[in-house]
Amino acid sequence: MGQPFHTAVRDFLDGRIWLRRHTPFPKDIIDRHIQEGFIQTIPGIQTNTTVLNQTHHTCNRCENNDPTRFTTFHCAKCEGTCTYCRKCLKMGRISSCTELILWRGEPVSFSIQHALAWQGTLTSSQQQAADDMIDSTNKGRSHLIHAVCGSGKTEMLFPPIHELLLAGKRVCLAAPRVDVILELEPRLKAAFPETSIEALYGGTELTKQAAQLVLATTHQLYRFRHTFDAVFVDEADAFPYTADQTLRQAVQKAAKPGTPVHYVTATPSEELLSTMKKTGSISTINRRYHGYPLPVPRYETLWNYEKQIKKGKLPQKLIVWTSARLKKREPFLLFFHHIGLMEQALPLLQALDGRIRSVHAAHPDRKEHVQALRNEQLPGLLTTTILERGITIPNIQVAVVGAEQKIFNKGALIQIGGRVGRSVNFPAGDFVLFHNGITYAMDDAKREIERLNEGGIGK
Amino acid sequence: MTRCLLCEQQLERRPTWQGLLGIQKKQHLCEICSNSFQRADIIEEGNLLDSVHSLYEYNEAMREFFHQYKFLQDVALADVFAGELRSVLKEKIAVVPIPMHPDKRIERTFAHVEELLRSAVVPFLLLLEKTSTEVMGEKTREERLAMKPLFILQKHAVIEPITYTIVDDIYTTGTTLNQAAFVLKEAGAKRVEAVTLIRA
Ligand SMILES: [Zn+2]
Ligand SMILES: [Zn+2]
Ligand SMILES: [Zn+2]
Repeated sequence: MGQPFHTAVRDFLDGRIWLRRHTPFPKDIIDRHIQEGFIQTIPGIQTNTTVLNQTHHTCNRCENNDPTRFTTFHCAKCEGTCTYCRKCLKMGRISSCTELILWRGEPVSFSIQHALAWQGTLTSSQQQAADDMIDSTNKGRSHLIHAVCGSGKTEMLFPPIHELLLAGKRVCLAAPRVDVILELEPRLKAAFPETSIEALYGGTELTKQAAQLVLATTHQLYRFRHTFDAVFVDEADAFPYTADQTLRQAVQKAAKPGTPVHYVTATPSEELLSTMKKTGSISTINRRYHGYPLPVPRYETLWNYEKQIKKGKLPQKLIVWTSARLKKREPFLLFFHHIGLMEQALPLLQALDGRIRSVHAAHPDRKEHVQALRNEQLPGLLTTTILERGITIPNIQVAVVGAEQKIFNKGALIQIGGRVGRSVNFPAGDFVLFHNGITYAMDDAKREIERLNEGGIGK
Repeated sequence: MTRCLLCEQQLERRPTWQGLLGIQKKQHLCEICSNSFQRADIIEEGNLLDSVHSLYEYNEAMREFFHQYKFLQDVALADVFAGELRSVLKEKIAVVPIPMHPDKRIERTFAHVEELLRSAVVPFLLLLEKTSTEVMGEKTREERLAMKPLFILQKHAVIEPITYTIVDDIYTTGTTLNQAAFVLKEAGAKRVEAVTLIRA
C-alpha cells in the first residue's frame, strides 16, 4: 500500500455497500482506493448454476433471490446476456455488469460524548420497558416493546440508544414508512444534540459524513452491510416490511453479525410475537401516556361507493361527515385503499373546500401537505395507508372509505385509529369505518381495541 | 405467481373461456394500473409525414411509466404495451424504429423503442442512424431548426417505393418524426406513417 486513504472516502463508504459508478467521488480516486486494497469490489448480481443447469440469481445489494424479481435481457453495455434486480431498482439498477464496492480499510471510530437533552420523564411502565431493552441489548438478545398507539414509544427508545452511543457504538433506527422517519428526525435531533445524525429515505441528498445514529426507511438499509451495533425497527409490522422477506433480510444484513435487532410496535404480527417469545424478550405497555382509552371504531355503511365516485358522485354520507369536520374546523384524514379511486374522489371533496389535498407514497408534495395539515393551512387530507402511522396531529378526526378492502387488515385499522385522540387536550375523536360490508378484520380490530381499553394487551 | 409489473400486486387469476381455450392474452398489469393509462388514438395527417397515430395520452401514470422504463432502465416494462402495439403494427410491412445513438445505447444498456417492438413481436428494420447524442427535448425551437440532420440512412439500406411506418415512444414537436420521414422519402419511400405510444 502506497498512499494513505482519503478520510472522506472512508467516512462515506464505511458500512455501506455502494454502486461503484455512483459515488460522490471522482472515478480515479475510487480506482486508486480499489488498487490499494482499501475498497473491495463485488459483482452486483451473483449468478450460480445448479446441477440441473438452472441459473439462480442473488442481488448482492438487497439480497433478493426470488427468480420472479429478476429480468434477463440483452445488454448493450456488456454485449451479452445480463440480469438485473427489479426489487431494488429504484435505488439505481443493479445488473450483472454493475459493480458494488465495500470499505475494507481502517474503520471509522465514533464519539463517546453524547448528551441526552430530552427533558421529559418516563412513566414507570415506560421506564421499565426502556430498562428491559437495555438489558436485552447487553445480552445481545432481540427485544420487542409492544405498546399501544400514543403510549410514547419514541421516548422509551432514548435511554437504550443513549447507552449504545456512549459506548461509541453505531446505531440505526429504522421504520418501513418514510412518514415515520420524517416525524422521528426532529425529535431525535433535539434529544441528541451532540450526536451526528443522518436521516435517509428516498430522495434525500447524499451526505458524506459517517453518522453515528442513522434514521432510515427499511428500504435504505439495502445500502448497508454489517454496519450497526444495534438496529431498532419502529412500527415493525408496517407494510411493506411485514409482507417483504427481503426487507427483513435487509435489516438483519445492516446489523453486524450477532448483534440484536429490536422492535417497537402497537400491532405486532403473530409471527413476530411468537419469534420474540421464543428467542427474545417482550415488554408491554397497554395505556396511552395520557391515560385515556383508545378510540373505538364505529361502522357506517357506504354502499357502492366505488361506483358512485367513479361516476363523479360523492356518496351523501361522505359529504355529511366531511362537511361536519369543516364546519367544526376539525382536521381530518380520509383513508382510501387505492390511489386511483382517491384521485377521483379528490375533486368531489374539493367542491366542499378547495384546500383539501391528497397524498400517496409517490406524491411529490407529500411532505409539504402533511406539514400544511399540521399548520392548519389545510382542513384535511385524502390519503392511502401511508399515513396510517407515525403521524400525530392534535384533534384529528379519521374516516376510512372502504374499510372492507383487504389492505385494511386488523393491524392497519388499529394504527389508523391510533391517530385519533393522541393529544392530552383532545383525548377523543371520531374514528369511522365507511364500508360496503363488515369484514373479520374490522371486527378483530374493534375487539382488540376494546380489549386494550380493558387493560389486557396481546391476550 | 404473477405480479403486476407496475405495482407488484399479485394478479388475480380468474378462469375465463379465453383461458380455457388457451387464447388469453398474457396479463402484465392489474386492472387498476392498466386503467390508469388513458387511450387516446389520436391520428394526425400531414404532407411529409403522411399520418401519425398516437396511442395514449401523456398523463401522470404514463410519465411514471416512462421514468421507470427509460431512466431506471426497467427493461421488463417493455411488455406493458406489447399487446397494444402489436395490434396496431401487426399489419404493417416495413416498421422502422427511431434509432438511438450507439453511445447512448451503451449508456442506457438497451434501445427502448426497439425493445418495445421486440416485446410486441413486431419485426422491424434498422434503416436509420442517429447522428448525434443530443436530446431534442433540451432544445429551443431556434436551436432545433438550426441543427444538422438528426438521421442518415444506414450504410447498405435500400429504400423501396412502399409505405414505411416509423415508431417512436413519444410525439412532441414532430421534429424527430419529420426528419426521419424526410430521410426515407428522399431515398424513395412512397409513403411514411408513424406510430407513437404517446402524444404529448
Ligand atoms: Zn436488489
Ligand atoms: Zn450488462
Ligand atoms: Zn398494478
